[in-house]
Amino acid sequence: MGSILLVAEFQKGRIREATYELVAFARRVAEASGREVHSLVAGSGVEAAAEELAKKGGGTVHLVDHEVVAQYSLDPFLRAVTAAIEGASPDIVLFSNTPSGWDLAPRVAAAHDAAFVSDCFEVEAEGENLVLLRRVFNGKFDARVVPTLPVVATMQPGATSAFEGSADGQVAKLDADVTGESRTQFVEVREAEKKGVDLSKASVIVSGGRSLGGPEKFEEVIKPLAEALGGAVGASRPVVDAGWLPHEYQVGSSGQTVQPKLYVACGISGAIQHLVGMKSSNFIIAINKDPDAPIFEVADLGVVGDLFEIVPALTQAVKEAKG
Amino acid sequence: MKILVCLKQVPHADARLDVRSDGTWIQEENIKFEINSYDTYALEEALRIKDAGEAEVVVVSIGPDRVTQALRTALGMGADRAIHVNDPDAEGSDSLGIAKILAAVARAESPDLILMGLMADDGNFAAVGPMLAQLLDVPHTTTALKLEKANGSFTVERELEGGALEVVKLGTPALITVQTGTNQVRYASLKGIMAAKKKPIDTRSVADLELSGQVGAAAAKVRIEKVYPPPKGEGAEMVEGSTQDVVGKLVGKIKELGLL
Repeated sequence: MGSILLVAEFQKGRIREATYELVAFARRVAEASGREVHSLVAGSGVEAAAEELAKKGGGTVHLVDHEVVAQYSLDPFLRAVTAAIEGASPDIVLFSNTPSGWDLAPRVAAAHDAAFVSDCFEVEAEGENLVLLRRVFNGKFDARVVPTLPVVATMQPGATSAFEGSADGQVAKLDADVTGESRTQFVEVREAEKKGVDLSKASVIVSGGRSLGGPEKFEEVIKPLAEALGGAVGASRPVVDAGWLPHEYQVGSSGQTVQPKLYVACGISGAIQHLVGMKSSNFIIAINKDPDAPIFEVADLGVVGDLFEIVPALTQAVKEAKG
Repeated sequence: MKILVCLKQVPHADARLDVRSDGTWIQEENIKFEINSYDTYALEEALRIKDAGEAEVVVVSIGPDRVTQALRTALGMGADRAIHVNDPDAEGSDSLGIAKILAAVARAESPDLILMGLMADDGNFAAVGPMLAQLLDVPHTTTALKLEKANGSFTVERELEGGALEVVKLGTPALITVQTGTNQVRYASLKGIMAAKKKPIDTRSVADLELSGQVGAAAAKVRIEKVYPPPKGEGAEMVEGSTQDVVGKLVGKIKELGLL
């Protein structure tokens, strides 16, 4: 039986929440299967963070403290992870499904001729096997996946609660040379530009999806309802990708995260990337022609029907109700 | 320079998807297919590099006969030639199997740049790109929103969380996976489609690539045991009835929320 190795990640100088979610997943699998938990902390000036992770469930924390891993970069991190794998002999390696996680994890799997499963929301040990649950078809279906071991997996941030207990662990400095040729060169991080449209302050958002069919339909169908409700217009990613609306209207993981009193999703099927941006809204109304659309999973009220019929009628009724 | 673009043909975004009888994937008979949306942006980026100077754009796809249509579309958009790995022995490959097939194709082609979508709209694994880069021992980056070529290297803006961007520079040969929305994707013009009929599509088998036994379902390390519709959320109360009834109920709720 191997061990479980999780790869910690930093955000604004601290170990990020998603790493403690990995700890929660790893400890559950460890308890069910008798594996030991190991972690990798790679960063610059991160010894205290490694100590903290060791006290908070990270098990044996392998530490790489070097300026070349201060910022995620492919080759130095590949070396650090390879060294940690040699040190911990895991048969399960967990990353968070974050921009550095999805950049690095598949490559680590290929380097070790191992199975790879991404963006999982659940992991369970079942006898000798590991079972991973994940979404496919942009959220239309769930899949139960059984990999051969060893396996590298990435876990969806927010899919479980962060581990909050304490447990005895220790920090072990990893004897790894992470310097050497770096074939990708980090230039800079550019923070998100201040949005011309700040959807985070809107109390009502009426959003439209690809099934509207064109930018003119936003003017004809979506905008009047938003105006009647005194709210703002939002959009899903495919709408912005198609150039119907600028990026500042995009709701979702790569756009704005919103929490209005009312979110009306019109013709939005509910890809995961959209759902994470709006599921915390106080109240969600979804209108969609497909009864199986994932948007209904997060909605409070759902209507299966033709948005081109329902939305204009709703706009009219809202106007009448206001008198 | 030579650019290899890896395309996957996936069920059309508007296709009605049902789980097939063995429960392990969707049924793919009698549904429409299209080029994976992410891959169309990768192809567009390749064609823009070609438009800006000297570049040969080669497209490659793995799959049954229907994939020819995706390759014809790519040729119609402006790719120069296509490679189709069409072999039942490739079916059921996991991400690593697909990466091994593409690596064999890439070794024979020696491209300066490999472009492909960040992920596929069906499996959503986002695995093949970085795996292929590892097998070829070339640098890679993922989630590109912008690519700029200068003096044998590429400067890439990659998408981070919440709209932030990371700028990464990498020398060639390199592999870059592309996010959707980079640039407006062109359509295949009528002239392009006519010209595409004369462009070659080379067919390869798993044996041609000397990968017999190393790819396909039997060699897969990742097995999808079951696909199923996600459990419905508890909150979704479905409103039914005539448009008038439905609208009446919605307005009632909006009033309850204190928004009217």
